[in-house]
Amino acid sequence: MVSFFIFLLLVAVTSAAASSDYSERLLLRPLPQSALLASFNFRSNESSASFEHQNFRYFPRSLGQILQHAHTKELHLRFSLGRWDADSWGQRPWDGTREGGTGVELWAWVDASSEEEAFSRWLTLTNALSGLFCASLNFIDGTKTIRPVMTFHPEGHHHNSSNLHLLHGTLPHEVVCTENLTPFVKLLPCKGKAGISSLLDGHKLFDASWQTMSIDVRPICAGDGSDCALEIEQNVDMVLDMDRSKRPRDNPIPRPAPIEEIACDASKPYNAEDTCYPLDKGEEPDWSLTDVFGKPIRGACPLTNSDGDGSETVCINVPPERSVQVNTKGSYVESKHAEDTMRCYQLPTGDDFDLMLPSQKMTTGLVRSQPPLTAARSINGHGQERGSIQAVITNPSLTEYVEFVYLESLPWFMKPYLHTLRARVSTSTENPVVETYYRPAVDRLRGTHLELLLRIPPVSTLTLTYDFDKAILRYTEYPPDANRGFDVAPAVIRLVSPQSQHSSRGTYLRTTSLLLPLPTPDFSMPYNVIILTSTVMALAFGNVFNLLVRRLVGADEMDAFGPRGIKGKLTGRLQRLMRAFKGKGGKAE
Amino acid sequence: MAIDQQKALLFGAAAAVRLLLFTAFPSLPNLLTGRVEISTPVTSFKRLQEGVFLYTHNVSPYDGGLYHQAPLLLPLFSLLPNPAYHPFATNVLYTIVDLLGANALMQIAETGQTVSSRLFTSPRKDLRWSSLAIGASFLFNPFTIATCIARPTSALTNLFVLIAMAKASQGASITFILALSFASYLSMHPILLFPPLLLLCYNMRVTKARTPPNPWAYTLSHVGGLALALVALLYTSALLTGSWEFLAATYGVRLLLPDLTPNVGLWWYFFTEMFDSFREFFLGVFWLHAASYVPGLTIRLRKQPLFVAITLTGIFAVFQPYPSIADATLYLSLVPLLRHLFPLMRYTFLASSAILYTSFLGPAFYYLWIYAGSGNANFFYAITLVWSLGLSIIIGDSLFAALRDELDVERPELRGKEVRRI
Amino acid sequence: MALISNLLALRRDPRILKLPPYLSALCIIVGVVWLLVLPLNEYSRNTYISENALLPGQVHTYFGGSEHNIFRAYRHEVAGLVGKPIEERSQRLGEIFKSSNLKVATQKYEYHASSRNVSGQNVYAVLQGPRADATEAIVLIAAWTNMDGEINHSGVALVLTLARYFKRWSLWSKDIIFLLAGDSTAGPQAWVDAYHDSHSPAAIDPLSIKSGALQGAVAIDYPAGPWGHRFDKLHVVYDGVNGQLPNLDLFNTAVSIASGQMGIGCTLQRMFQHDDSYQARLQTMLRGMISQGLGHASGPHSSFIPYHVDAITLQTVGDGWHDEMSLGRTLESLFRSLNNLLEHFHQSFFFYLLMQANRFVSIGTYLPSAMLLAVNFTITAIALWVASGRSDVPVANPASTSRSPAPKSEKAAGESEMTVLKTGSSIALIPTISLTITERHLFLPLTFIALTHFLALLPLYIFNNAPESLLDIAFNTTAVLTSILPTLAAYVLSIYHRPTQQEATLIQCFSLLLLGMFLSALATLNFSLSFLIGIFAAPLTFIRHIPLPTSPTSSILSKNRKPVSAVISLLLVAINPVIVIRAATLYWGKDIVEVLVQAAEGWHIFGLWTQVVVWLVWWPAWFAGGVVVARGMFS
Repeated sequence: MVSFFIFLLLVAVTSAAASSDYSERLLLRPLPQSALLASFNFRSNESSASFEHQNFRYFPRSLGQILQHAHTKELHLRFSLGRWDADSWGQRPWDGTREGGTGVELWAWVDASSEEEAFSRWLTLTNALSGLFCASLNFIDGTKTIRPVMTFHPEGHHHNSSNLHLLHGTLPHEVVCTENLTPFVKLLPCKGKAGISSLLDGHKLFDASWQTMSIDVRPICAGDGSDCALEIEQNVDMVLDMDRSKRPRDNPIPRPAPIEEIACDASKPYNAEDTCYPLDKGEEPDWSLTDVFGKPIRGACPLTNSDGDGSETVCINVPPERSVQVNTKGSYVESKHAEDTMRCYQLPTGDDFDLMLPSQKMTTGLVRSQPPLTAARSINGHGQERGSIQAVITNPSLTEYVEFVYLESLPWFMKPYLHTLRARVSTSTENPVVETYYRPAVDRLRGTHLELLLRIPPVSTLTLTYDFDKAILRYTEYPPDANRGFDVAPAVIRLVSPQSQHSSRGTYLRTTSLLLPLPTPDFSMPYNVIILTSTVMALAFGNVFNLLVRRLVGADEMDAFGPRGIKGKLTGRLQRLMRAFKGKGGKAE
Repeated sequence: MAIDQQKALLFGAAAAVRLLLFTAFPSLPNLLTGRVEISTPVTSFKRLQEGVFLYTHNVSPYDGGLYHQAPLLLPLFSLLPNPAYHPFATNVLYTIVDLLGANALMQIAETGQTVSSRLFTSPRKDLRWSSLAIGASFLFNPFTIATCIARPTSALTNLFVLIAMAKASQGASITFILALSFASYLSMHPILLFPPLLLLCYNMRVTKARTPPNPWAYTLSHVGGLALALVALLYTSALLTGSWEFLAATYGVRLLLPDLTPNVGLWWYFFTEMFDSFREFFLGVFWLHAASYVPGLTIRLRKQPLFVAITLTGIFAVFQPYPSIADATLYLSLVPLLRHLFPLMRYTFLASSAILYTSFLGPAFYYLWIYAGSGNANFFYAITLVWSLGLSIIIGDSLFAALRDELDVERPELRGKEVRRI
Repeated sequence: MALISNLLALRRDPRILKLPPYLSALCIIVGVVWLLVLPLNEYSRNTYISENALLPGQVHTYFGGSEHNIFRAYRHEVAGLVGKPIEERSQRLGEIFKSSNLKVATQKYEYHASSRNVSGQNVYAVLQGPRADATEAIVLIAAWTNMDGEINHSGVALVLTLARYFKRWSLWSKDIIFLLAGDSTAGPQAWVDAYHDSHSPAAIDPLSIKSGALQGAVAIDYPAGPWGHRFDKLHVVYDGVNGQLPNLDLFNTAVSIASGQMGIGCTLQRMFQHDDSYQARLQTMLRGMISQGLGHASGPHSSFIPYHVDAITLQTVGDGWHDEMSLGRTLESLFRSLNNLLEHFHQSFFFYLLMQANRFVSIGTYLPSAMLLAVNFTITAIALWVASGRSDVPVANPASTSRSPAPKSEKAAGESEMTVLKTGSSIALIPTISLTITERHLFLPLTFIALTHFLALLPLYIFNNAPESLLDIAFNTTAVLTSILPTLAAYVLSIYHRPTQQEATLIQCFSLLLLGMFLSALATLNFSLSFLIGIFAAPLTFIRHIPLPTSPTSSILSKNRKPVSAVISLLLVAINPVIVIRAATLYWGKDIVEVLVQAAEGWHIFGLWTQVVVWLVWWPAWFAGGVVVARGMFS
């Protein structure tokens, strides 16, 4: 049924007509450990003809002009926070195609005749976007930009793909927050005033355990390549911790509940009024949109078409036995799909709409789809001189080989040794590395770009390790919090086979980012260092040349060369004084 | 002949020690390779392996920030089996390099150029050690052994420098030029040894030949020869790597110091803390300073060119951008040639105990800074200062002794008297 | 340079040679006095927080109420697990973690040291901070058994309760790892080794779940049984392995939160009654130095510190009115402070001596005392060097070129030089440090020193690898052997009429030079150890080889040198490292075998270096001194 739920979303995505239209959809999905996945999807498109003439209806004008100015044909922008817990939440939404690594990730196909031109346009794009989204995208410079060869493929239909250049940049340290959400919502036709976007609230969104905002712009054409349209798709996926988000905003502190409200396990021998073993009731918690998002949906967005599958705006994916109550004054339509595991609603226009699920003891749980791969990456060793990266990638499938691309984009001050790269599979001795693409870093100019095509046999684990050195930087190159360390962008993994059965876009997953502590100089004493070093050099230089230019004579001949040394000078002075004094005395007489 | 037996014994013992260390402690080589005191960004064996790996996989090693060593090393080491699995060949190679170096050193000692050259003969000329002793002092110096185990390419540079000196002091022009050009090709700075060694070579030539050659023609021919050899080497490298970008990646790095990995020298911390606007200026100043010793010493001590060359190696061990104890060991193993000057030296105990202390305190402070995190960079920096100071004191002191030695010849009546500089 | 050359001119003044013994004595006295004045107000400082981000005690703590009931329940659960097999225990603890929606994993470990077998299992849970991106983590530890072997009931229960409570907060910007270690020493070591992947995979499992870089760790030791026990004070343990210390800021934060916010008094180094008097301060400091000098693991936190993870252990002591909730609130506040950290601990001191919970001395103030001790050896070494170069002939100008001594001694010198260089002495320059014209015969001294250090490897190996049953015998035999060895060696040497007067002086010179060098290097790594060894080795500065009476006018000592030498040798036995260790164990009423086993465990588990220092630095110096003196007994 999960496949169906994805398929459904897919229908929503791919049914793109050349005519300009707009549709939105919210999918709610309770997850284990009282978590709730809410994935918002907004999609609008504009016929390329009117786009060329700057005639925007649903397509946001600000973004459109930037794309035209930077000659960007396809754009993918991600803002992400937190981690997706694969082994308890299962497969990622959208097969991970609509999420990014921690922080900000951006890749785009730029139309240019040469690499240099492409790069300059890329810089234009990043600077413009950083202004639009209040993110420091302008810090994506040459050292953070790579040109992936195997990992990313264009989603749209491009006519002259010959002079399209793919550029990719990440900012792992960028903290995504409300100032990024506001411009994101501004791009929507209903601007968060109506429709599902009215649920998007910074306080809840950024309290989520995992959340990612994505913007994808791509040209789509009919089969014969005629009547193309430019489609923009905006997604917000988040996993909310219900206990946390149900907490009222005026009292956010998780004070211990009064003992009366806690269900105690009376079967315990020591159970007493002052001793309480908390009982896990094993019920699905009760929740409603208002609890979780702080407010109900303010009616449908009037721009969505009122019939067809695009009109079913809110879907919830729960077992059939789970009771769902709708609370609204307006008129709504409920329809069920996929053996009733998917209930979708057409929103009333102008009236608030709320869903309420009472707490309920469930007999059947939701089937979680197994993720095709799980990956974890960590830094081994300690100390600020060198270390080694270890990536552990597991193929849980019982039957089939998994072939995937592993992309690393490392900062230049982390210097990997490719000859120490070892890939070991737990079950077999064959070398899992099928193909390698490596572009070493150049100090202060570009980062390392490593792409590996790997192959894992079923039910086995692949361990990928390589050593690296940590460079010491000039003291002006350290950030203010130098002792925190530097963030290393997450590794991107794309499945090559088996192909995702749901989408042509493939399946992606990303590891967490890493913290790389570098050796730090003492920031307080540039002058002392300059002075001390110069002193040592001056000592050596002075000593040597002093010997070279002077000439040696016997100590006993010194007098021949007049008074030398402190003693000599002093005596000379003294004698002169005496003489002067005597002279005065003479005068007095 | 007895002396040959002793020599064979010595070399055998030295080789045995090295191979024993290589085999008995398999993790030792990599441990030492990681020590910043021994392997620098421009000599590290690990970086060489990376370069060879990239080279054998048709990625240009110079299109990256990791490999800064000479191109000809790549085919040489790609011929050897991968040291990660079959280290024996590499170990043997480095052992042989050390033995050849010792051999060259002993040749220098046998010529006795340090004590009596064409224009100058020390009054203490019979105060010298046998070549065996000097070879032993090189082969059993812990610094040399550590260098050999850590396998930096500076070991090769040292070998070629020693050969160049030996050949020059034998007056063999061709081999001298070839060796020196190889040394300069590997690490650039040995080319500064050319003037004194040329002088030495000329002296030998004059003493040998009954008709002294015309000095100008001699100089010109040798300069031309050196230039020719260097151009040939560079051109082969260019053919090998298919482009000239290796120039920037090797010599450019030595000149401009983009990689600030700590080492025992004075440059790295200075340029870590340097303000960007003054960086180029001070780079120029530092290089000028390092080079300024060559003319000064060569002119003042033109009578003892070999001494000048030895002192210059000491200068390089202190004032080159990426020094390591490999450079120091070259100087320290050449110093015993100056045995006749020891009675005239004054601060040797001071200097040698300073060096001894730093060689213990350096690793301790580096550990405190990098691993324990309880000390900061200044700890290690201070030690590098003391180390450089100790070496430069030895240099200055030996220089004083040499001048005093000359003075004894010029003015015998001053023997055994205190002297002053004026 | 001019100044130096003036000093060099002074060098030839015979009076200078008389100076060094007094100078060394002065150094030692000043060094010791220096240490003794540290506890005074004038020389020690009040502690303060340097890292502004910590904001200790600035947050209101909410841990309490119904959590208390849950804590009691968990404590009963823990008590129920006592005596159960390890697997069942781990599995149950893991369930409790899981019930509060945390990711749980376990790790098996097994060590072998001196025929003992240390094994166990760690259980740990990771709370993924809602504001965290998996790059940083802080650790809360409770070992199943504490250092004294008691079951850590309340500690474990408190960690379980806090895990459940912390999970509800949404403000964590770092992951929090709750580690229930199998025991107090090996368990945390195995865990932290595996976390950094520097473990031996044969005996220790790798960790299945990892988080980011560890920023700090706090261990709690609260062995109160299932019915609880109210405590009086918190005992803060902070010594790491090999005498490394955590950043002072962590310690200060804990103290200021406990005493300032919660009103719990803090003590350290088992000084449970600490009136702020001079004696109390001094005693605290000395206890601190001894435990630092021993460098053993003093708690679950110790194994974290070598990995540059600052860690402390909070131990409850005494009978008072503080209960588990106030300890819980302390930890809550402490973790809120750690959560505020933007950078790794780096602001405050890493080298300090604490003499009270809020009074310390920083390295700048105390280091000179150890350095002076080290310097005194160096001074004597230099003096001996100069002395060894003196002959009866009047000393001439060093820069002189007169052709004495006779060529034959010249040649002898040549030989000795050559051999010297063959021994591969640390630099080829050594033989040539000739300030005077008598050549030194360095072959015997250098080989002797080298052999001594190699000889010391033998006991080191034996004590690290001997089975427990043999340790007692091994130790006693070593004690006897080492005590008589100098005399034996001296006798053997005397058969060959070696060492001569000069060689004896040189032997002592080199051994003292090395000792001084090692100690000054060690003083920066482990101040206390360096200081203690320096104190015990101090007498070696003043012993001398008593020369044969040369003339009827020679000194009274050399007239009856044999008895005097014998007496001094006997006195030296008293400061034989082995004897000193034995005496120390007797004084503190420790079982020597236990100590040795701990040392061996330290060597195999924690990488403890103390015994290396003892055998390779201290003992050779003592042995050389002993031989030099004992030589006097044989003509």
